[in-house]
Amino acid sequence: MQENTTPPVQIKAIRDGFLLVPSPVASFQTIMEFLSQRLTESHHFLKRARMTLDLRQRPFRAEEVRELRRLLLEKADVELVQVRLGEDLRGLLSWAAEQLAVTLSVDQAHQPEAQPVVVRTTCRSGSRFESEADCFILGDVNPGAEVLAVGDIIVFGNLRGIAHAGTRGDRSARIWALSIEPNQIRIADLVAVPPKGSRRGSGRFEVAEVQGEMIQVTTL
Amino acid sequence: MAGKSIVVTSGKGGVGKTTTVANIGTALAQKGHSVVMIDADIGLRNLDIIMGLENRIVYNLVDVIEGKCRTQQALIRDRKLTKLCMIPAAQTREKDAVQPEQMKDLCADLTNDFDFVLIDCPAGIERGFKNAIAGAHSALVVTTPEVSAIRDADRVVGLLEANLLNDIHLIINRVNQKMVKKGDMMSTADIVTLLSIPLLGVVPESEEVVISTNRGVPLVHDRGSKAGRAFQRIAARLNGEDLPIEDEQHEGFFGRVKRFILS
Repeated sequence: MQENTTPPVQIKAIRDGFLLVPSPVASFQTIMEFLSQRLTESHHFLKRARMTLDLRQRPFRAEEVRELRRLLLEKADVELVQVRLGEDLRGLLSWAAEQLAVTLSVDQAHQPEAQPVVVRTTCRSGSRFESEADCFILGDVNPGAEVLAVGDIIVFGNLRGIAHAGTRGDRSARIWALSIEPNQIRIADLVAVPPKGSRRGSGRFEVAEVQGEMIQVTTL
Repeated sequence: MAGKSIVVTSGKGGVGKTTTVANIGTALAQKGHSVVMIDADIGLRNLDIIMGLENRIVYNLVDVIEGKCRTQQALIRDRKLTKLCMIPAAQTREKDAVQPEQMKDLCADLTNDFDFVLIDCPAGIERGFKNAIAGAHSALVVTTPEVSAIRDADRVVGLLEANLLNDIHLIINRVNQKMVKKGDMMSTADIVTLLSIPLLGVVPESEEVVISTNRGVPLVHDRGSKAGRAFQRIAARLNGEDLPIEDEQHEGFFGRVKRFILS
């Protein structure tokens, strides 16, 4: 059953030593057995090598790291110098929390603040712009184009495509444009379709915002 | 002096790309320019039929690109105009038979020998489109006053701009003035505002186009035809002449369009 395409452990050569990549699905038992066999086979080759453990795929478990380190040292005199972790830090956090006997949490907000996106052309059909903050369009948004922003959308032109402000659920986000006549506008979780046959060329700024449970477009 | 290579494209099919190429090419040749038209719609060959040259085809575009014949051998001369040539598309091949780089080289070659290289682009925005625009210096986007055609034209303009082809002009085909007046069809002014690219000409809807296509004689040979005249004026403007946009009944309306273009 273990004769799959990928072995439970892969050993790759990197610039300053070797990279040990355990499979994210294999059981720790199989990993240890396979690695132990590999180390016995080639302990001359690997002797005194510097090994990096790659845990970007496999979740972090302190006990496993300890066991692997011991095995490497005993079988082939290989030193474990580094552990690479992926984005998922939950394993590490729960282990650290156990060690310290206190709950740990990571504050996501310390990441650098997202910059607004400024588009200096007409957004044509088929184009899509996404912003982690506000989005400024210096031109028209034509039908078939999509503009999405976590914050507000400000269009210095006609808005005829699809605009979605407050994509993360912020209902206070607003959509500003010289003229709002889109196929559809969305703010947070609300979707609105303009009433049929309404074409006001007010020539002044219009703004769409959530009032009650509805998206309302008003002229400034 | 090196000539200009111009791609005629639209995104949507059936809006009149091939008809436009045939008529503008013929009109330019009538004025004494040397013109070559390339049918880049590999697998769906049409331009030769509209030009009435189907029975003269020996070699085609893919043969030239694969080096099976010299470029000169694939050039088919028009029946009436000696300065007008075309390279037909291959009917039995796929669009993958040509690479954008090869089209670029071919167009560069041809611009040395001809004043105008007109490329008839296939519908769509896939491989064939990328091949057709690879060798072009400028683009003509053809659309009809239909919402779907305009939407596709908008997309194509965006793609052309993304490919750094910034010299783009608009041709609006099959405009029915009666329907525009009644408010049943989008006006040229509305289309130009939406697409925001300069307008090169407006071609009225006409039955003569269908007749001329079926006969294999481009419309510009027929002096009495309105659509033919429109194509002639487009060709003249392409050549740098400053003609006002269509002298239709209502001067004020077209005046507005023109002002928009000049601004």
